[in-house]
Amino acid sequence: MKYQSQAVAKPYFVAAIGLFVGQILFGVILGLQYVIGDFLFPEIPFNVARMVHTNLLIVWLLFGFMGASYYLVPEESETELFSPKLALITFWVFLVAGALTVLGYLLVPYATLAEMTGNSLLPTMGREFLEQPTITKIGIVIVALAFIFNIGMTVLKGRKTVVSLVLLIGLVGLAVFFLFSFYNPDNLVLDKYYWWWVVHLWVEGVWELILGSILAFVLIKTTGVDREVIEKWLYVIIALALITGIIGTGHHYYWIGAPEYWQWWGSIFSALEPLPFFMMTVFAFNMVNRRRRNHPNQAAVLWALGTAVMAFLGAGVWGFMHTLAPINYYTHGTQITAAHGHMAFYGAYVMIVLTMISYAMPMLRGRDAANSGMSQVVEMWSFWLMTVSMVFITLFLTGAGVLQTYLQRYTDDPMPFMVVQEKIEIFYWMREVAGVVFLLGLFVYIASFFIGGKEPEEA
Amino acid sequence: MNFALTSLRPCTRVYVILMALTLATWLIGQSDLTGIAIALLVLMFAMLKGLLIGDYFMGLKGLRSLWRWAVIVWLVIPGGLISWAFVISV
Amino acid sequence: MHDHRTYPPGDLAIWIFILAELLVFAIFFAAYAFTRVGHVELFNTYQQTLDTNAALANTLALITSSYFVMRAVAAIREDNIKHCVRWLIAAIVMGLLFLLIKSAEYAQHYSHGINLRTNIFYMFYLSLTFFHFMHVIMGMVILASVAFMARRGKYSAADHTGVHTGASYWHMVDMVWLILFPLVYVMR
Repeated sequence: MKYQSQAVAKPYFVAAIGLFVGQILFGVILGLQYVIGDFLFPEIPFNVARMVHTNLLIVWLLFGFMGASYYLVPEESETELFSPKLALITFWVFLVAGALTVLGYLLVPYATLAEMTGNSLLPTMGREFLEQPTITKIGIVIVALAFIFNIGMTVLKGRKTVVSLVLLIGLVGLAVFFLFSFYNPDNLVLDKYYWWWVVHLWVEGVWELILGSILAFVLIKTTGVDREVIEKWLYVIIALALITGIIGTGHHYYWIGAPEYWQWWGSIFSALEPLPFFMMTVFAFNMVNRRRRNHPNQAAVLWALGTAVMAFLGAGVWGFMHTLAPINYYTHGTQITAAHGHMAFYGAYVMIVLTMISYAMPMLRGRDAANSGMSQVVEMWSFWLMTVSMVFITLFLTGAGVLQTYLQRYTDDPMPFMVVQEKIEIFYWMREVAGVVFLLGLFVYIASFFIGGKEPEEA
Repeated sequence: MNFALTSLRPCTRVYVILMALTLATWLIGQSDLTGIAIALLVLMFAMLKGLLIGDYFMGLKGLRSLWRWAVIVWLVIPGGLISWAFVISV
Repeated sequence: MHDHRTYPPGDLAIWIFILAELLVFAIFFAAYAFTRVGHVELFNTYQQTLDTNAALANTLALITSSYFVMRAVAAIREDNIKHCVRWLIAAIVMGLLFLLIKSAEYAQHYSHGINLRTNIFYMFYLSLTFFHFMHVIMGMVILASVAFMARRGKYSAADHTGVHTGASYWHMVDMVWLILFPLVYVMR
């Protein structure tokens, strides 16, 4: 570890992993509730479990991004972090606010939570993924501002690299677009229109800049390939991401009451959204092939390559499958969406955070460059367990979705929703089994942090 | 460096050809000439102009690689698709 | 460094960018052509409301600007920085002319109450030309920065990759219009 202040990344990574476990536990609960409807009812109804599952995902990924930034920016800028103390304060603020919010979801009826937190003063609650009380949202903004300030000041006082600048732009974008969660129009069409300015412009926009820059950083470190080559690729990738993704937002405007030209604009531009992910895959494999060294942390390289591939498959391919308006007309809101959503989030964002943790954690824990061979093997097992089980989750949900779309919408004699749900139940059971394997993979992942610690560094 | 690619005389010649093809297209547009044959002719002019820009202005002529082919493919495939669309619309 | 038999002139990154842009436009063109199949009468009718004279002027302007860019490249090849800058400025002026003519056309449409929702032909016409318009602006910004850097002596006969890079992008913008003009304004 080149700079002492990089150590602040560690609590962020630990929190991220802890919340990840929480997210998956609730995921498994949800999967079971799909097939045993009153499982844990009324203590944890489905809608509450879902809020916890999705909100935990976003929060742990944010912890991951922050940890990644605190680790890589000092190293890129060749200077200590501006204020490690501020980083630790914001850590605790974010963690406590997050924990209280989740407890709020679980312990108190949602309407009561709204009342308790003064939602009526500035109503922002009640929308998917943005269920947080207004005060939590304000807290998130403050945390984000402090974080960006800290990172920004560090970049300003040190070396400015393409990697840190792209990361910073992505993070600023993340903060700016989050502000749209405060905009809650009465008009339902406008409501939905701007909701996507948070969600789409996050995951199909600025988050891709964050993803690209972290991937570039890890590849520079583990392959030793010339920085300039990698930075050039990064430029191309983010340019493609923004060109396709910004107007590609239109693929969420097909059926909400927006003008019809969005069906054209959205289809044409979003059809090309897989391109940057394809380039990322070519980029990652190319860099590893051209490597000038065999870095001892082979697990991190595996995660990096895996991220590119799974992001391309989950976000790119599965996204493409339902992005064209004529197809989306039938598949909208079905299990196809769930299939894409899971693999995309896992492939792109879960995996890039785990890639960074894989790269940085050994050094944060006092090792030179990598964990022992034994530890890495266990970690790689967890990679395969989680990744393969996610592929199966996606395949099963795709099966469910195709059948659902056909029986409920496409066929000459459409059947009602619940009738169809009964018919696709088998897919949900299989999905749950895969989900449990995923959870197991996650436990193996955690175990890898405690195994082989005393073994020597891998050569 | 391939100076021959973009030395003055060929590029001015190409410029004149481009202007001529453009005027021809415009004249057809002004006239009452329609129909699939005319439409395809106009499209061909467009493809030709694209090829000239690619080869001479962009400097792709003489390149042995897939970059030249990428632009040619860009002219041929959409051109083909557009032709097909016009033919089946008759 | 670059093998000049294999790589096109200019930075390789811009060429990937160029190909991506060409791809988007190609898809848009194809979408136009195939949508037309189901609305031939409508497309033919409204196509004839377009101003082909303005489009001709625009086409000539763009081709001329591309020619000027070519001359700029030739100039820097001979270490003639002054002429390089002048040709680039001339190209930018042509680009500006394009923008002005196109804006006048848009103003005309707007005054007749035509917009993206009027009908499917106008939706395509306005979308296609608008996206192209934005790329003309971007191209002009690129040419302007190249001219600016040329003026500050950043380029020479030995090293002028930046000029090639900007030129390639501009030629792409021109090429797209050369397909757009006949497709949308003339072919029926």
